[in-house]
Amino acid sequence: MRSIALLTSCLIALSSLCAAELNLTQSLSSKQILPANFKPPQVFKNVNLVRTTNLDKEYPREVINVIIENIDSKPQSEYYLPFESSLLSRVGGLEVKDKKAAGKLPFKVEVVEYDSYSSTQFYLIHLPEPLQPKAQQTLSISFSVLSALTPVPATINQMDNQYVQYTFSAYSPSAYTTEKQKTKVKFPTANIPDYSVLDAPNADNTEDPQKQGSTFTYGPYANIPAGAEELVSARYEFTKPLTHATLLERDIEVSHWGGNLATEERFWLTNRAATLANQFSRVSWQMTQYSNPPTSALKGLAMPLRIGSLNPYFIDDIGNVSTSRFRSNAREANLELKPRYPIFGGWKYSFRVGWDADLKNYLRKLKTGDTYVLKVPFLEGPRQPEGVEYARVELKIVLPEGATNIHHETSVPLVASEATIHRTFMDTIGRSTLHLTAINLVDEWRDRDIVVTYDYPWTAGFRKPIVIFSALMGLFTVVYVIGSFDVSIGKKKTA
Amino acid sequence: MSSPLHDIWEAASASPYQPAVSKDSQFVVGAVLLFTAFILTGVFGLNRSIVTLPVLGVPASLAFGFGAVYMICAVGVYV
Repeated sequence: MRSIALLTSCLIALSSLCAAELNLTQSLSSKQILPANFKPPQVFKNVNLVRTTNLDKEYPREVINVIIENIDSKPQSEYYLPFESSLLSRVGGLEVKDKKAAGKLPFKVEVVEYDSYSSTQFYLIHLPEPLQPKAQQTLSISFSVLSALTPVPATINQMDNQYVQYTFSAYSPSAYTTEKQKTKVKFPTANIPDYSVLDAPNADNTEDPQKQGSTFTYGPYANIPAGAEELVSARYEFTKPLTHATLLERDIEVSHWGGNLATEERFWLTNRAATLANQFSRVSWQMTQYSNPPTSALKGLAMPLRIGSLNPYFIDDIGNVSTSRFRSNAREANLELKPRYPIFGGWKYSFRVGWDADLKNYLRKLKTGDTYVLKVPFLEGPRQPEGVEYARVELKIVLPEGATNIHHETSVPLVASEATIHRTFMDTIGRSTLHLTAINLVDEWRDRDIVVTYDYPWTAGFRKPIVIFSALMGLFTVVYVIGSFDVSIGKKKTA
Repeated sequence: MSSPLHDIWEAASASPYQPAVSKDSQFVVGAVLLFTAFILTGVFGLNRSIVTLPVLGVPASLAFGFGAVYMICAVGVYV
């Protein structure tokens, strides 16, 4: 009786082969095209602006807290944020929140495009509720800038300290008049041999910048017009690697049969630090391995995985890399990787790591219907004290064969999302796959999750065993048919 | 923070996904099913007839189908 029910379900599974259609939610990659002579309408003014630039990590993290006021006669909801076009392509993870409502979702932000030759490009911030005339709102705009630090000098000796230079505008980028503003720069060290001193004193009539230990303050400045720029730069000690991943491919594979979530990350790393002035000396490198002085070479990567991760592997172009450690217990699952060689400035290293996890911690089934909801980290990868930056992240979420009606949601800004088919072991039609692309991410984003829902009828799950069943059953039938041929050359037995 | 799919995730907190066969027993289940398929195939091979084709062939094929899936999972290729 049960086998009949099973057979029926198998037939349904086979019949749904052609019915598997993907239904995918659209991504956030929309762009608004504006005319070439576009200028942001002067409907806002910045009453007070404080910009904080944190240089602790290898990527500057900017937080702009600004009180904006609507000076137009109508309610306004579109606030423009200008960037120089070469900078815009390196700005990542731009998030805007209401400073006074911290728990709320970030505002909708998009890049507007009007003339690709223009030196200024804009981010458009949509205020969730239009700001009434004369009303004020406090925005908290945060973003990080990739590939922003330049080693000066560009070549150093193996054991030398490294100095990097960061160039920025003392005036915060703004498309509106700013009544009062200042820029605070927090350096990781007090060893700052060179920095720009502005000729004109600031609004308080004191020297510009003001120094307090490792924190510099440019400003305050009064009544700065829209689009004004005052380039300054600082050179400070940063004897740490500038780890830059040109590409990270991350695959997450869901297996209902195996109850497993398999993750694989493929890295293409490079170190943007100062290059070696002379040849690499293995002897002097080995001599420093006990004292462990700061170095601009990348020696190891620490990857804290989710608790319960299993079976890690670490492979590069040559094969398995044995210099890794995995410590897993009820409180942590730390994967510590050591590349085959220290990665000095300008050197590259590409490798792949992967691990398994129990699916029950990441997948839930809705009470009604055959809908499943999956929640996985968008980005894992290494967590380094100096940070890691990713120019491009391509995430593939491979769902079981026959999953349909796929929707996803994440707070990570995506540039592309598409549904594809991934074909691998024992597949007949291929697995439904969600292919997401994000650019300019940094390792701070590794705690962000992505939630995916999909329909997966239980009949679709039987596709794999049924295919094997049919093949073997066919084989038996062929054996029976061929075996029943009488190919003997003697007389036919009559009895 | 609230958003529709996160709410769905929270709403389903009582029902984490449980596979029919847990990871620890995949190898045993797969091995038993494959062995059953092997024996039934052997018996069918010795005694081929129109009756034994469905009587032995169908259970052997089913056992091989599910056994193969579980054995492949057990050795680390999570299909």
